Amino acid sequence: MDSSVHLDNVVMEFGDFTAIQKTDLKIESGEFFSFLGPSGCGKTTILNMISGFLDPTQGDVKIGGQSMHGVPANKRPTSMIFQNLALFPLMTVAENIEFGLEVRGVSKGERKKASDRLLELVALEGSAAKKVTELSGGQRQRIAIARALAVEPQVLLLDEPLSALDLKLRQHMRTELKEIQRKTGITFIYITHDQGEALTMSDRVGVMSAGRLQQVADPITLYRDPQTSFVASFVGENNSIVGKVLSINNGIAEMDCGPLGHLCGRVQGAVKIGDQATVFIRPEHLRLSAEENMLTIPSVIEEVNFEGSYLTLNANTQAGSNLAIQLESRQYSENLMKGANVSLSYNVEDAIILGESAHV
Amino acid sequence: MFNQLKARFGSGLAVGVIGMIAIWIIGMVVLPQLLMVDYSFRPNLLPVDIGGPKDIYTLANYNTLFTNEIHLKIFFKTIWSSVLVTSITLLVSYPIAFYLAKVATPQKAALCLVLLIIPFWINEILRTFSWYIILAYKGPLNALLLSLGFIQRPIRFLSGDGGVLIGMVYAYILFMIFPIYNAIESLDSNQVKAARSLGAGWIRTHWRVVIPHAKPGIATGCIMTFMLAAGSYAVPSILGSPGSRWFTQIIYNWFFEGGDWNQGAAYAFLLLIICIGFIALVMRIFKVGLGDIAK
Amino acid sequence: MKSETIMRLGVRFYIGVFFLYLFTPLIIMGLATFNNSRFPTISPWKGATLKWFKALAQDDQMWHALWISVVVAIGVLLVAVPIGICCALFLSTVQGKGKTLLYAIMMSPLLTPGVIIGISTLIFWKRFSVTGGIMLTVIAQTTFIAAYVMLMVLARLQRFDRTLENAALSLGATQWQAFRRILLPYLKPAIISAAGIAFLQSFENYNTTLFVKGYDTTLTVYIASKVRTGLTPAVNALGLVMISITVIFAIVYEVKRRREQSIKS
Repeated sequence: MDSSVHLDNVVMEFGDFTAIQKTDLKIESGEFFSFLGPSGCGKTTILNMISGFLDPTQGDVKIGGQSMHGVPANKRPTSMIFQNLALFPLMTVAENIEFGLEVRGVSKGERKKASDRLLELVALEGSAAKKVTELSGGQRQRIAIARALAVEPQVLLLDEPLSALDLKLRQHMRTELKEIQRKTGITFIYITHDQGEALTMSDRVGVMSAGRLQQVADPITLYRDPQTSFVASFVGENNSIVGKVLSINNGIAEMDCGPLGHLCGRVQGAVKIGDQATVFIRPEHLRLSAEENMLTIPSVIEEVNFEGSYLTLNANTQAGSNLAIQLESRQYSENLMKGANVSLSYNVEDAIILGESAHV
Repeated sequence: MFNQLKARFGSGLAVGVIGMIAIWIIGMVVLPQLLMVDYSFRPNLLPVDIGGPKDIYTLANYNTLFTNEIHLKIFFKTIWSSVLVTSITLLVSYPIAFYLAKVATPQKAALCLVLLIIPFWINEILRTFSWYIILAYKGPLNALLLSLGFIQRPIRFLSGDGGVLIGMVYAYILFMIFPIYNAIESLDSNQVKAARSLGAGWIRTHWRVVIPHAKPGIATGCIMTFMLAAGSYAVPSILGSPGSRWFTQIIYNWFFEGGDWNQGAAYAFLLLIICIGFIALVMRIFKVGLGDIAK
Repeated sequence: MKSETIMRLGVRFYIGVFFLYLFTPLIIMGLATFNNSRFPTISPWKGATLKWFKALAQDDQMWHALWISVVVAIGVLLVAVPIGICCALFLSTVQGKGKTLLYAIMMSPLLTPGVIIGISTLIFWKRFSVTGGIMLTVIAQTTFIAAYVMLMVLARLQRFDRTLENAALSLGATQWQAFRRILLPYLKPAIISAAGIAFLQSFENYNTTLFVKGYDTTLTVYIASKVRTGLTPAVNALGLVMISITVIFAIVYEVKRRREQSIKS
């Protein structure tokens, strides 16, 4: 069955405020797709447009190729898992799971069969008669999933459902969600502000900021080749240095970065000689030694933090700007202390240069 | 407004909700009041004359009050006594409310609240009637005072306004205690402690910390008590004497003894204006809005 | 330290006197029922008797008034509870201009003296040639009792999580199903309490009823007329019975409420 979701040039306005700028996006059938962005970026609005709680001001939402224009939330082939789960507190676990079938007039026997099957899927057999208030956070999470799956939706919408859980459980549930998605083959649309969640679970991620879809790509591409400076700094850590483009050769640009000298990096998108541009270098790509065929930046260590499996350093460059550096723990040595002079170097291939046009 | 209701409940239920509210607000709350006001400005006519040339708007019904010295006196006495009842009730209630909200242990407070609620559930008539028994000329209070030697002859408690005042304070005290209790309870106890540790005495602590916080509750209590006292018919008719009539009793008489409804409506409207005026005054003094008054 | 002790004793004394003040009248009224005296009093005490209960049981007017009170109270319950629920639903759903004004109007019956509600209802319905009686009593009492119901239901409604309704819709429920299966069960305890309060408020009402009762005397009005005219301890007997019923009702209600609260927490 085609369970793709097509946001066909949708725009959402609330009065004078444009919550979603014109967006055209096709989410494939059976895909695990995440919208990632800070709060207020419009990702919840997108979810509400797909689920039918909001109608786009312009454009159309198509599910399985069918226009959803004028189709209310309760008639769409979607179901939603809410941030606070929204389990019905006065109903038992089984009643919660069977609710969607009950309102469709499915017989009692059929409903029971379905809830038993789903409880097995989420590994909570024997909890059918329990009250939802008796369950732990993780168990409630699974009941919410089972309830949403019971109506056999083509598309499952998840609104930051893991945000209320503690760290350990959250990481466990990521694997579990991915597993359920694989088993059911349903299209999952997930929204989150947590890049860890988005990157680990998704087939593709759409990064959003201020009502605009910044970039849509698989997690690795998103991390390696950010197309906009927002994505470069929002997804993972990044150091940024501003300069002017001097030359471009085979996709490698050289930039004049003032007191820091000339820095090079891979060009992303449209950059011309003479443009203002920014070079992005990830903390883990910086080394602490002047190596040949690498660019070097002389600096002074400001701060050293031990964080378990890795070390983070803060170094002051001659230009007065700060750079963050991340090293593996085993690279620690006595010499790494405040005030020590170091030369930072990086691989040209690992740095990204984005022009003004990517500054949105 | 309808669209918001429809979006949540669907059109069927939304129509039902709007319909019910319309029936209540228009048919029971607003129109009857307006009609009463309209009525009060018309003369009392025979059915045949209604709608005829004699059916004109006039201030005559209001003039009656200002030319009738006895009625006018009762009118002002009712207002003044109601203010008095409100003040006494406030003074008696405040320490109780504070004790329940901040001093008593939770178990003790819970017990006291149940004890307070029990008389609250009991009919106003019966509560007042019990005071009639106590205050009677040959009643237990006089008997007690006589036997203790405090008085030589029984006191006629029920011949003046004294009995009415006692009965009203008793009947409406819970309408004062509960709003104040609710307001003080929401005050952070550490604020009281902080004020004390900064060297404020008890009086100053209450004046500067507790009372400002309890303002909405005090305002609600005063409004309710005044409204109930000024509009009371049961208490003055049971505990009052012919010499201590209440304004409501005069209104009743216009309706069911004088047979002049128009005149009665005018008096009723004056009572309503006094109550509205008192509400406005209290809201102004305590600087609270109408939204704060809901319990 | 010394002044603290005095203060504490003072507070205790005050609380003691206050509760004495609260309960003495009720106790004295109860005792007067059993006094073998022609008038309701406890001094002088003329020996214990139960004859006033017998006199009460034989009072046909009383039984008739009780019947009318029950009919009126049930009528009020049936009209005021739905109206109050509708108002609460409205206030919790609608946002925007005019809401404050509407809220003020909905609250106004609680701030209006009962006699005025009775009078305005009487005058209004005269226009349609409806005179005082059971129907007008139900209408007049509903005017302000609906506002009580509204406040009680609204208090619970304000704690309702509206995503539960969205969850139901997202699972395919119609708006009516979401209301019927999710919101209404949630409101049930508040509705039951409100119905109880509405019944009691109606049963005990005097000021409003007095003006609209016509010839249909309710029990409260009957007691009041007895108190003012034919004073015998039979009134006390009736009072004692009513107090006992209300106290039992109040205790049951309180215990139930507390139990619900402790389950929640």
